[in-house]
Amino acid sequence: MWRKYVWGYAFVLPAALIFLLFTWTPMVKGMIYSFYHVDFVKGDTFVGLDNYRAIFRDPVIGTAVKNTLYYMGLCIAVGFWVPILFAVAISELRRGQGIARVAAYLPYVVPVVVLYGLWRWLYDPVGPINALLTQFGLSPVNFMTDPKWSMASLVFMETWQQFGSAMLIYLAAILSIPRDWYEAAEIDGAGVWKRIRHITLPAIRGQIALLFVLQLIATSQGYQSQLAMLDGGPNNATLTYALNIVKNAFNRLDYGGASALGVLMFLVLGLLAALQQRISKRGEGAA
Amino acid sequence: MKNAERGILSPYDLRKPLNRIVYLLMCLVILAMVLSMVYPIAVAFFNGVKANVEVNTFPPHFLPESWNWDNYSKAWHYIDLPKYLRNTLFIFAGNMVMTVVVLGLASYSLSRLEWPYRKAAYGFFMATLFVPPATYLVPSFINLKELHVISTFWGLWLPAGANAFYLLLLKSFFDGLNPELFESARIDGASELRGFFQIAFPLSLPIFATLAIFVFSSAWNDWFWPTFVLSQDRYPLSTAIKLFVIDARRLDLNIRFALLTMVMVPPILIFLVFQRFIIRGLHLGGVKG
Repeated sequence: MWRKYVWGYAFVLPAALIFLLFTWTPMVKGMIYSFYHVDFVKGDTFVGLDNYRAIFRDPVIGTAVKNTLYYMGLCIAVGFWVPILFAVAISELRRGQGIARVAAYLPYVVPVVVLYGLWRWLYDPVGPINALLTQFGLSPVNFMTDPKWSMASLVFMETWQQFGSAMLIYLAAILSIPRDWYEAAEIDGAGVWKRIRHITLPAIRGQIALLFVLQLIATSQGYQSQLAMLDGGPNNATLTYALNIVKNAFNRLDYGGASALGVLMFLVLGLLAALQQRISKRGEGAA
Repeated sequence: MKNAERGILSPYDLRKPLNRIVYLLMCLVILAMVLSMVYPIAVAFFNGVKANVEVNTFPPHFLPESWNWDNYSKAWHYIDLPKYLRNTLFIFAGNMVMTVVVLGLASYSLSRLEWPYRKAAYGFFMATLFVPPATYLVPSFINLKELHVISTFWGLWLPAGANAFYLLLLKSFFDGLNPELFESARIDGASELRGFFQIAFPLSLPIFATLAIFVFSSAWNDWFWPTFVLSQDRYPLSTAIKLFVIDARRLDLNIRFALLTMVMVPPILIFLVFQRFIIRGLHLGGVKG
């Protein structure tokens, strides 16, 4: 009896140990640390709810939450439709589809830090983008240092970097739509826009919904480009919530406070996910 | 009319002038996209061979006036690129071994072997997908410190085995393999370990290749986490470039671009050669890219 299952357990054991040690432990420990003042030298001291009280007194948190929502919104407004549009357009190319596909994916191959270095120069007050703007008689923009522009500039850069992979997913779905459907629609008198609206888009509805949710999940935790390009500046204009966690921990060495921020984030995101589940279930029930 | 001849548009549509104009515009937009993808890469290369005064002129010009190839030898001596590249490859190799051995065995067991509480174990792994990593980033760091794996490669390698998404991909791939193969191996007296390494693993090479792309791109791109987990002489290329090139205060712009070009060109060439396989592999992985 025991011998029969020994391989099954033996194969799972290493993974179970690693998940326990490196995923479950930090998750649970994060909750514990949030009630402590963490000090690697003198040892941890229990501080009760002090970390949480400090968070609610900190005016930066409001800014960070607002910036995160702004960032998520911009990523949807600027970045979400771009890969869909290009996927539809590229699927219609009779020649050069391969080149367009490879070019769109190119930035993905280069390490992101290199792209950060490049874009810092492209966005420079005396860089090529401003040279182009002045050539057209427009006034130059301080893409990085003007708080009105800084977040939008980051979102534009990230869209450029990342739309390729989403585009490939949409493109694969669009190319697998049977050509006969368009044929039939055309015979029935549907124009080009109607064919896109009623055949192409519904056929990739699943991918659109999935990538939408994935993008929300990813952007709600975004901090890397904000950190690498601007360190949350100018004047906290690109300080996202996750970046605030990182800065609390590694700049101010307030590990307990950072853990508490993480717990709060988990509660909010978890609540949203649960709510979304409820709503989508109810929607199915109604239908 | 042949079906292969059409997409959304048919040849008939393209005879109408309005459609023609829109189609032409669309091609121009795609062309602009392709150029905008290639331009920054080309500009980095050209800036890398300009004289430093020329890089700093406004408005910048695209092609260099003088070709200063010695920028590259200066850049080569500025930081020890081969060492950092070796570190990156070392991290990738370790992460890949963890993925194949730890996640491969576990997903094989979850998919192909029978044992009590298997469903519960699966839940134990999958539940971690629902917790956003940013929420336990800081406790992870403290945890690694307490386990004394910090500043060694183990601090990256061991947690690489805790990826529920890869586990999910592997398990669904194993689910699709023909069970009779394993039955017959078992009857012939092969152990389960042999069943995994000699039957399941070779049959699953496509999915492992896909995972290799994912694992490589994360080892290749991640610069932030290694700054905390590794000691300075173990930094991967990304981290070294970020800290010593991009954040450097006193480094001439042309040398900086020469360095960026040196880091950028090899992966682009590899990608161009293998792009057919890489793009196919990405599709197999479903969504993550």
